Order: sequence, then C-alpha cells, then structure tokens
Amino acid sequence: MRCDFCGYEFREEEGISGCRNCPVGAKCKLVKCPRCNYEIPLEPGWIKKLRKLWGPKG
Amino acid sequence: MSLFRKKSSCHTPLADAPCGARKVALVGNPNVGKSVLFNALTGAYVTVSNYPGTSVEVARGTAVIGGESFEIIDTPGMYSLLPITEEERVARRILLEDSPDMVIHVVDARNLERMLAMTMQLVEAGLPVILVVNIMDEAERLGIAIDIPLLAKRLGIPVIGAAVARKRGLFEIRESISCFKRSAHTLPDYSRRLENDIAEITGLFQSRFTLSPKAVALLLLQRDQEMMDLVLEAEGEGFAAVEAKIREKIYARRESFHLDLSLERRKITEKLLDGVFRVPDERKITLSEKLSRWAVRPLTGVPLLFIVLYYGLYQFVGVFGAGTMVDFLEKKVFEGYFNPWITGIVKDAIPWPVLQELFVGEYGVITLGLRYAVGIIMPIVATFFLFFSVLEDSGYFPRLALLVDRLFKKIGLTGRAVIPMVLGFGCDTMATMVTRTLETVRERIIATLLLALAIPCSAQLGVIMALLSKAPGALLIWSICLLFIFLLVGLLAARIIPGETPMFYMELPPLRLPQLSNILTKTYSRMQWYFMEIMPLFILASVLLWIGKITYFFDRMAAWSAPVMASIGLPREAAVAFIFGFFRRDYGAAGLYDLQTKGLLNPRQLTVAAVTLTLFIPCIAQFLIIKKERGLKVALAIGLFVSFFAFGSGYLLNKLLATAGIL
Repeated sequence: MRCDFCGYEFREEEGISGCRNCPVGAKCKLVKCPRCNYEIPLEPGWIKKLRKLWGPKG
Repeated sequence: MSLFRKKSSCHTPLADAPCGARKVALVGNPNVGKSVLFNALTGAYVTVSNYPGTSVEVARGTAVIGGESFEIIDTPGMYSLLPITEEERVARRILLEDSPDMVIHVVDARNLERMLAMTMQLVEAGLPVILVVNIMDEAERLGIAIDIPLLAKRLGIPVIGAAVARKRGLFEIRESISCFKRSAHTLPDYSRRLENDIAEITGLFQSRFTLSPKAVALLLLQRDQEMMDLVLEAEGEGFAAVEAKIREKIYARRESFHLDLSLERRKITEKLLDGVFRVPDERKITLSEKLSRWAVRPLTGVPLLFIVLYYGLYQFVGVFGAGTMVDFLEKKVFEGYFNPWITGIVKDAIPWPVLQELFVGEYGVITLGLRYAVGIIMPIVATFFLFFSVLEDSGYFPRLALLVDRLFKKIGLTGRAVIPMVLGFGCDTMATMVTRTLETVRERIIATLLLALAIPCSAQLGVIMALLSKAPGALLIWSICLLFIFLLVGLLAARIIPGETPMFYMELPPLRLPQLSNILTKTYSRMQWYFMEIMPLFILASVLLWIGKITYFFDRMAAWSAPVMASIGLPREAAVAFIFGFFRRDYGAAGLYDLQTKGLLNPRQLTVAAVTLTLFIPCIAQFLIIKKERGLKVALAIGLFVSFFAFGSGYLLNKLLATAGIL
C-alpha cells in the first residue's frame, strides 16, 4: 500500500496493526500509515480479486 | 482474524532461518523501496513483530540464495546513524545488537546526493555495506546518469544500480549477497582538525564496539545519549576521561559542530559524486513540479487553495451534490414516490397509528431515518468523498500541510495537524483519535478542541452548504465566522496551554495525476464504511426520536429551550435540530434542512443556526472518543466550553447581522 499523505509504502498488515487500539475495530475499513498515521481505505476484497484476474501478471 | 501470514511474539526467533544463518539488514530512508526489495528477496513467508520494548514493527524473512539461507531484516526508515525518531532508534539498535553480516543500504537514485551521506556514515562505521541505488528507471527518465562502477570504486564497497519494483538488478543483488566479502573502505578523510579531535577521543577507548571507534567518537560529539550510555557501560572507570574529552571538544566547537560536520560530509559527498552523478544541464521542469511549488508557496498556494475549495467543495459538493442530487433523490424520489408508496403499505399492514408513526411518521425509521441517510446524506458524502479522493490521490494534502505550517504554529500546532484536520472533514470522531499522533499533549488538546468546535464533518458540511447556498452571502458569512473562530480559539488556546510548538518537516511525495481506479476504489471504500456506521445509528436515532415524540419529550424540550432559541433569534422548532445534532452532526444539519424547506427560517436565522450548529457540542461518538483519548475532565471541559461558545457566537452573530441589516 502507499500512504496518500506521506507517500510511504508499507504492507497492508503493518497498516492493520496500527488499528489495534481503536474502539471502532474491524467494522472500519481504514488502516493507518505506520509513518504518519494518516488513514487510508482498504481495497475491498472483490476489487483485489478483480485486479488479480485482470491485472498485469508476474 | 489473522493479521499476519505468521505472527510471532517479540522475541520469537525466525523459525525458518536455520541457526547461524547469515543476517542481512535492509536500511535506508523511508520510501526508497526497502520493503519491495524485502518482499522480492524473501517471498511470501515473513514474520512481523514489535521490536522489544517499542511499538515499532520489524519484518524478518528468509531468503535462499546460491543454496545458502539468509535471514533478511527489513528495518524501519532512518535518515542517519544519529537517531531522532523511535523508528530510527530501532533501526540503529538492529545494526548494533543484531550485528548483521551484511547491511544493504537502499537509496533513491534521484536523490543520491542527499542519501549518500548515510552510506558514508555506514561505511565509516565499519559496517559491511552493499549499496543499492534503486529507482534507476525514474532517474534515467529524468535524464540523470550514474556511473555505478566508478562509485563502487570510490566507496570501496559493492554498488548495484536497480529498479526493484521492475525486478531490475535483483539478480545482481542476490549475487552480491551470496559472494559478499568484507573489504577496507576508501573514504576520504575529514578536515585535519576534525580528524585530530576524533583521534584524541578514540585514543582513550579501551574497549571494542560494534561500530568503528571513529563513528562512535562522532556520535559522542553529537551528544548521542544512547551511545554515551553504551560507552559508559563498556569503558567503566575509563569513561570519565572519555567524557571529559568529549566535553572539552563540544565546548570548543559549541557554536557550529553540527553545521561543520554536515558541511564536511557534503564536501566528501560532492567529491565522491564528481563524475559519477550527472544531471542534464537544463532539466525541463515538469508541470507537476511547477504546481507542487505553487501549492506550497503562500503567495500562490493560498489562491490555489481557494480555487480548489471553490470548484471542489462549493461547486461540486455544494451545488451539484447537495443541490442537484439531493433535490432529485430527496424531493423527487423520496417525497414524490417512495414515501407515499411505503406509507400506504405500512398503513395497510399495521393498524395501530402509534406503530405506524415508528416507521412512516414525522420521525419514522423509513420516512425520516432512511430519507435522511439515502436522500440527503448519501449524495453529499458521495460527492465529498469523490472530491477528497481526487485531492488525496494527487498528493495535494502534504503540500497543504507545508502551506499552513507557519499559520498553524501561531495556534500551537504544526503542519502535521493537517492530518487530523483534513480527516475531520470526513469524520470528526476518527480524526479525534488521530490527534494522538501529534507530538505533544498541548498539540493534542488544541487539535481536539478545534475539531470539536470548528471542523464540520463531511455530511454536516455538505448539508450546510446546500442550505446556505440558497441565501446569497450566507455561505460567505458562515465561512468567515468559522475561520475567524478557528483562529481565535486556536490563538487563545496556544496562549493559555503552556508548552512549546515542535518542529515539523516532511518529505514531499511527487504530485501526480489522480488515477480513476484509485479514486473510485477509495470513494467506494469510504462510502461503504460510512453507511455501515451511519445506517444503524440513523435507525436508532429515529426510534429514540419516535419515543421522544410519543412521550412529548420534544415538545417539552422545545418549550424549555425556547428562550435559548429566541436569544439567538431562532424559532422554538429549531431546538429539535440541535437535539438531532447531538446524535449525529449530520442528522442535526438535516433537521435544519427540513426546517428550511418548511419555510420556518429566514436567511439571517438560517445563517445563525448553521454557525451555532456547526460550533455546537460534538456528537455522542466524538464526545466518547474525546473522553477516551483526553480523559473525562478534558472531555467535559471541551463539551461545556463548546456549548456555551456556540450559543454565545450565535447570539453575537444574530445581534451583529440584525444591527447591520445584513441578510
């Protein structure tokens, strides 16, 4: 993933781990940039699948 | 839910790496492609865990290269061996404590001049460095030429040109890891004076350190406390002499040591890169670079901001989203077709008027809750999130942070506070949580207060724009009031709350043309999250409002608050919108929308009501988060202050507008 605020590239898991103290919990579809804490929406699962199907291979 | 492919505790050793596997640490500035290289080397099987005693995460994985297993460590971003942030401290600790057999320094080819200073520090520290000059493809596109073999010769270490995102250079990197042999570096010396100072200090060392004596001496001269503690532990009684010498040298060079060292390193970098790094004589400045410069300079940045706000927020969200789309959905679809149809069905199916009211009455779950959520709020948040995603994907927000940094410093904040402020326009509750990332408690309190007071959330903003755009001048007065109050309260808070404003700097990612797929994906994700959150709340609020109606609670509240409403020049019915507003800010604004469509508010009352409601007490969710983040006392203080301030401002504004005869 790429942070839309600071441009930092990070793994989705790193972003999700930044949400562990948040009371909103799993309902929220945003993850935090590990560098600046800006919140970025997670790509929905079905879009990921579409990308895998139609996106560039390799 | 499993967050990681494989999660370990803080001290779990990497299961896959065989005991004694050689360690390779990837280091470098943030955003140079370390993680991409890490993934390319390790494949899918990695372990992510917190570095002991910190919240900083470190990823470790295994790579099999030339038949040998290597443990690969992806360190947090660092700019120098002298750490400032927790991430940099962790990265340096890995170098000191894990004693990697190889350190791969990944740099951005486009910024080689700036990043080579850290390569020098790593080499000077006696670490086994391999330099990966990454993002070569972009550098070449800009016309930059880098003589990799000459740089390798000058540094005395392996240097590889790469574009790891495109898999270029990966073979060479693997080969370098597999065949790595330590060699003596060939870095030029510092000035005679500095070398003498270093020699005087290193001459007193009795112990051996992981870093070279020269690097340790330089860190001590830069007052690195962690290094000081390490030297104290290693030297024992001998530390007194080292400490005295350090003090003597620091005192002698007290005016300019950091500057002198930076200048010396810069000179060495220039010498190393002479003939190695060539940029085209007259590089064409792209439109994106021009726009980027305009966006951060006050003279051009402020007008640009107003253009963005006018077309994006006013024209697109306000006029199109909150005007055209709401008119269509709310008036034509809901009022014209859906509500009469559903009311007929419910009335046929349910014989009891009280229960009919619950679903299709004045505050009915369908006729009010669903209509507000789908007919009014949805088109507004959809257009707002679309506009927000365009700005976000273009890289405008970090430029906005730099633009407002000077102004924010006057109100006790820095450009970093743009993150919660910008997020507040999406949802103030989430933004309040983000204030915890601000450096000082003072900043967090000021930002929380300003979010609760003067930053309307997306839906509230949209509905208010829809309302006020119908009365000429009202939107301008509302905007001026909000901006004035934001700055006034910020200035006062910065004076009252003691403390200093920290420094702020950030590296700007490139400004780019937003990608349609990114914009649509982000808008969709935000909308989905928004509806998952608001629909149950809107239904709950409708049920509570229905109970309020059948128990005559609202009539009593309206009667009780009639003098307050009258003091700010509003009809007693407006009290209901303020009660709605406590459930959700956007619900309150939608309540005003209803009053206006019923013709109960003139332009002056509308403006006063919009200003008061925007400033009014945060919604329940935001209040609970303020309590969680800042404690009950601060939450109550902010709640009380905001309530009195909102009605006080409404009172003054009403008097001012009535006296001046405006609106």
